[in-house]
Formats: sequence, C-alpha cells, structure tokens
Amino acid sequence: MTPRRSRILPLLVIGLLAACARTPAASSPPSGAPASTSVASASPSSAFPLVLTDDAGREVAIEAEPDAIVSLAPSNTEIVCALDACDRLVGVTDFDDYPPEVADVDRVVTMAQVDVEAIVAAEPDLVLAAGNELTSTTIINQLTDLRLPVLVLYPESIAEVMADIELVAAAIGREDAATALVGAMEGRVEAVEAAVADLEQPRTFYEVSVFEGTIYTAGEGSFLASLIETAGGEPITGDALSTSIALEDLVAADPELILLGDATYDTSITPETVAERDGWGTMTAVADRRVVVVAEDVVITRPGPRIVDGLEALARAIHPDAVAE
Amino acid sequence: MRADVAERPIVRGPALTRAALVLGGGVVILSAALVVGIGLGSVAIAPDDVLRVLGHRLLGIGATSGVSDATETIVIDLRLPRVLGAMVVGAGLACAGTVFQAVLRNPMADPYIIGTAAGASLGATIGIVLPLLLPALAIGAGSAWLGLGLVQGLAFAGGVGTVLLVIGVARSGGRLPSVTLLLTGYAVSSLLAAGVALLMFASGRALAAIFAWLMGSLAAVGWIDLAIAAPVVLGVFLVVFARWRSLNLLLLGDGAAAHLGLDVGREKLRLTMLATLATSAVVAISGTIGFVGLVVPHLLRLAVGPDHRLLLPASSLLGAALLVVADLGARLAGGIPVGVVTAFVGAPFFLWLLRRSRRVTGMISS
Repeated sequence: MTPRRSRILPLLVIGLLAACARTPAASSPPSGAPASTSVASASPSSAFPLVLTDDAGREVAIEAEPDAIVSLAPSNTEIVCALDACDRLVGVTDFDDYPPEVADVDRVVTMAQVDVEAIVAAEPDLVLAAGNELTSTTIINQLTDLRLPVLVLYPESIAEVMADIELVAAAIGREDAATALVGAMEGRVEAVEAAVADLEQPRTFYEVSVFEGTIYTAGEGSFLASLIETAGGEPITGDALSTSIALEDLVAADPELILLGDATYDTSITPETVAERDGWGTMTAVADRRVVVVAEDVVITRPGPRIVDGLEALARAIHPDAVAE
Repeated sequence: MRADVAERPIVRGPALTRAALVLGGGVVILSAALVVGIGLGSVAIAPDDVLRVLGHRLLGIGATSGVSDATETIVIDLRLPRVLGAMVVGAGLACAGTVFQAVLRNPMADPYIIGTAAGASLGATIGIVLPLLLPALAIGAGSAWLGLGLVQGLAFAGGVGTVLLVIGVARSGGRLPSVTLLLTGYAVSSLLAAGVALLMFASGRALAAIFAWLMGSLAAVGWIDLAIAAPVVLGVFLVVFARWRSLNLLLLGDGAAAHLGLDVGREKLRLTMLATLATSAVVAISGTIGFVGLVVPHLLRLAVGPDHRLLLPASSLLGAALLVVADLGARLAGGIPVGVVTAFVGAPFFLWLLRRSRRVTGMISS
C-alpha cells in the first residue's frame, strides 16, 4: 500500500551502480568549505544515473538528465535559469519574479502552500526544494515518498551558493555552464574583497524589517551577516534563530551605518522617518546621517546567482568611495 | 431543569425508524462527501479516470490504460489517503467531543479542553524544533521515517501525557469533579501554551511549520498515518458506543448518576481516557483542527436529541462528512487552513439552528 518501504531498495541499487561506474558524484559540503573543492569536472551528459548529496545530507538518485524541473524557491529558479535551463522548468512559486521568462511557468506554490497534487501532475523528474524548513520537512518527505528526486538546497554563504550552482549543474547535466558562471562570480567576489580589504569596517546594521516594534536584522552567523562582512562592514547581529534584536541592544551596539533593506518594499521607510523613531536618534549613524536606503534587498537576501549583485550593492552602500558602480 | 430531565425514561430508545433515517442519512451524506472529495482537487481529473483508477487499484477491475501515472498517483497516493484521513479525523473529533460534553456537562467542552491540544501542540512543536537544534535528527538519508514520526509521536504522547497529568492533579479520593478537571486542564494548558509560544519565538524558519501545524492540515496524511489513526478511532468509538448508558446517566449530574448505580468517578476516568486517546491519535496526524469537536455534537444534539445511542454515531458520521467537505474547500481555495473552512461552513448553520431551538442549555449545562 505504501511506497515508503519500497524506495530504499532501488536507491541502494542505483547507489551501487553509480559506485561501480565510478560516477563522479558532486556534493555540497554542509558549511564552510570553499566552492572550488566541489567536484564539477564531470564531462557533460555522461554522468547519469548518478547519486548526489544535497545540503540536508540526503543522498538523491537521479536516473537520467532531468528535463522537467520543479523549483520550490525563487533562488533555485534563478540557479536553473542561470544554467540556461529555464525552459526545463515545469513548476515554480508565486514569489518567482526573475528572470522574466518564468512568468509563464505554472505556479505550484502559492502563499507558501506547496500544492503536491500540482507537482505530481507536472510529472517532474527533479524537484529543487529549499532547506531549513523553507520547504517544510513534511512536504520533502511526502514528495520523496512519491519517488520524486528531491534535491534540498540551503546555502549559508556565497561559497555555498556557488557550490549549490555546481550541485544543480551536476543534477541537470549543465556542468559546463556552471564553470563559466561560478568563475565569473568568483572574480566579482574577489574584486569586492580587494576593494574593501584595507578599509575601516563600520559597525553596520541591516534593517530587514520592523514589525510591531520587533526589529529584524541579520541573525548571528547568518548568510546576511557573512555578506555584510565580505562587503567590508562589521555586522550588528540579532538572535541566530529569531533574527530579531531588541532596540536596547541596538542602541548599545551603536551602529555607525544603518542600511534600510526594507525600504525596497516600503517607500515610507526613509532616513528621515528612521531619525524620528523613538530611541533611534542617539545612534551614531543617525547623528552622522549615515542611514542609507538599499533598494537591492531582493538580491541581497536571495541566495541565487545574483547574490554577487547583492554583495556589490552592499559594498557600495558601506564603502561608496572605494567601490564603483 | 434537572428533575425535568430525570423524569424522562432515559433508557427508552428512539423510534427505530427515526434512528434508521438519521443514520442512513448520515451514511449517504458521508458517502457523497467522499465521492466529491476524491473527484475534485487542485488538478482537474475527469470523473471516469478517477473511477477507472479506483476500480483498478482498489477492486482489481478494469485497467488503467490511457490514464497517466501522475493521475494514478494523485488519486491513490494523495487524494484517497487525504480524504479518508479527513473522515477519520472528523469522526474522531466529533466522537471525542460528544464524550467530553457528556462527561464534563459543559457546553464549551470540546476534545481539546482539558489539555490534549496544548500537550499535543507542545509535543509537535518540540518535534519540529528539535531537528534544527540537533542536526542528527534532521532529515537525511534513511531518517525520513524519523523526521515524520518524531512530530506525530511527540504530539500523541503530549496529548495523552497531559491529560494523565491533569487527571492526576484533579482527582481526589476517587472522585473526578468536572469543575476541578476543567480548571486544572485550563491551568496546565496555559502553562504548556507558554512553552509553545517560547519555542515559536525561538524557532526561526520553523515558525511557519509550527504555525501550520497549530492551524491543522490534512495535506500530509498518508497511508501510514491512516493505518495508525483509523484503528484507534474505530476502537474508541466502539468501546464508547457500548457505554452509551453511562454517557446518558452522566448527563444527569454526578449525584443522580451515582444514585442510579453508576461508579461515576471510575466511569468518567475511563471515558475521558478513551476520548483523549482518539483525540491525540487524530491530532497527531492532522494538527489541531478546531470547531468540529465542539459544534458537531451540539448540532446533532439539537437535531436528534441527547440519547447517545443515536447521538454518538450521528455525530461521528457528520463530523467525518463535515471535515471531508471542509478539506475539499480548503484544497480548492489554494490550501487555506481547514479550520477556517470548518468554521465558515459550520458556524452560520449552527447559529441558525441555535436560534430555532432553545433546548441546548437544558440539555447540557448544570
């Protein structure tokens, strides 16, 4: 009656086959490892069937080059399209807005609700989910039980975004495209790093949102915090899990620079209105008029190929004199 | 009021034809709900394809040639367990609600009132947050079973454990006074709810998963879930149904029931544990779906009267049908929480019935 029990055997068989054939299996290290160590050297289209290890540590068997891909996160969609495989997408989320050609792809996630029926009806041969409960564990298990290959992506640094691009490239047989893409990204990251290398690092507070008095920012050890660091700032972070920071703590941390990411979506958030907020006037950044609107929040917080656009936008906001447009 | 009820011969059965009519009607409504629930969904599938898949896979007749694998998967692995899950959960909640309302003699009693919901919620929340803190428990090769079972197992244990605790605190000298039970349940629930709130605050990305669980959903119900919950609900229903006399006597109040020969303390304990078992089993697979367990028993009590021989099966049937229909509504509306739909469908109807009949207060409150 249930497919659960029966899926282990085929997986084992495929795994053994893959091992015998010495198939190069790309794997994304869970954290910290630089992207260049990822295996992405397999010659195109020779690798299938293959077994990949995803960001949740799951082994995912892919039997043939996928030509019907469902993406459950906008960042995953952008990776697929940057690998020149946009035309293989058969399902995306209602948050997907880039690149423009995904506008015509069916929506299988609306209001964060994953429509499993619609995914099955699209008959995908690869599902790209998001980790850390962005795609809920329940849904991932449900799709896996239906014998759909589900690759979970959860990059926590720019290096891991690049590793994930190579992972997806291996999964869809587009390693050549990944090499060029990741090479270009690495070059741009190095340029930013070089430009800010010897500069002072201002204490930087990135405002993700303020809701009912709760201030959300980069969590401690988060992707966003590491991005601010790479862009030459010293991030003021909130709680690692809730990503919020108490106003008292923010005042005590005394930011020298405030970046308004939420101004991307809400034009009523301006340096002037921030200065008028109770308790904010004492901060060095407000007194020095270093409160800056950052209109690129989408690419700063979306861990896809455009993350380097986000990094450059941050670097420009933190060090306007050192980093050119 | 009490004397008035007591004077009536409570063991007198309803007219046989009326009972047959009510239960027959319930079966028809439930069957219709099942057919529509399996036939419709977010993906449009032709009715004859649905029938062909069901006929072939369940009864072994015909063939599924011309029907795509995807269609077969949607009908057999997604819709069928989900619709049957809605049926089991709805029946379990309505049955448990009927029992709790009789045992506690309180019109606000529902299956969640003495701590099942709070305990199950805390269990489920821990089950969702724990893998984030201990990556060894997170989804990984081979541990999908654990990832799924952890939330459900802890929810079930939380529900049953909480009620055991509440009963332990509320019990004094073999007696189980309803008011003490209610107040103890309320206090313990508040404590556990604070724990849930704390975990939600610190849960980061898992907040959405916790929130979805608390609102209740049948989206993830699979065959395994059904295989566990359905026998529990059916078993509890049969045992409780066999004790219809006790339920009818408890409506008279503890004193009168004791005078009529009922071991009130023990019987209340037994019925409470049975209802808790069913509630915890269904909540474990669906999260906390509101409204069904509170209003369906009231609705049927207004419609068919307080005799549990008829009330219990009729409530269970209608609870099952209501949740199947509500879940279909939720699916068609793009995955909104099913609890929202049950309230939208049931509340206006209940209010209408309430205005027509004033009997409800006399039936249940002391």
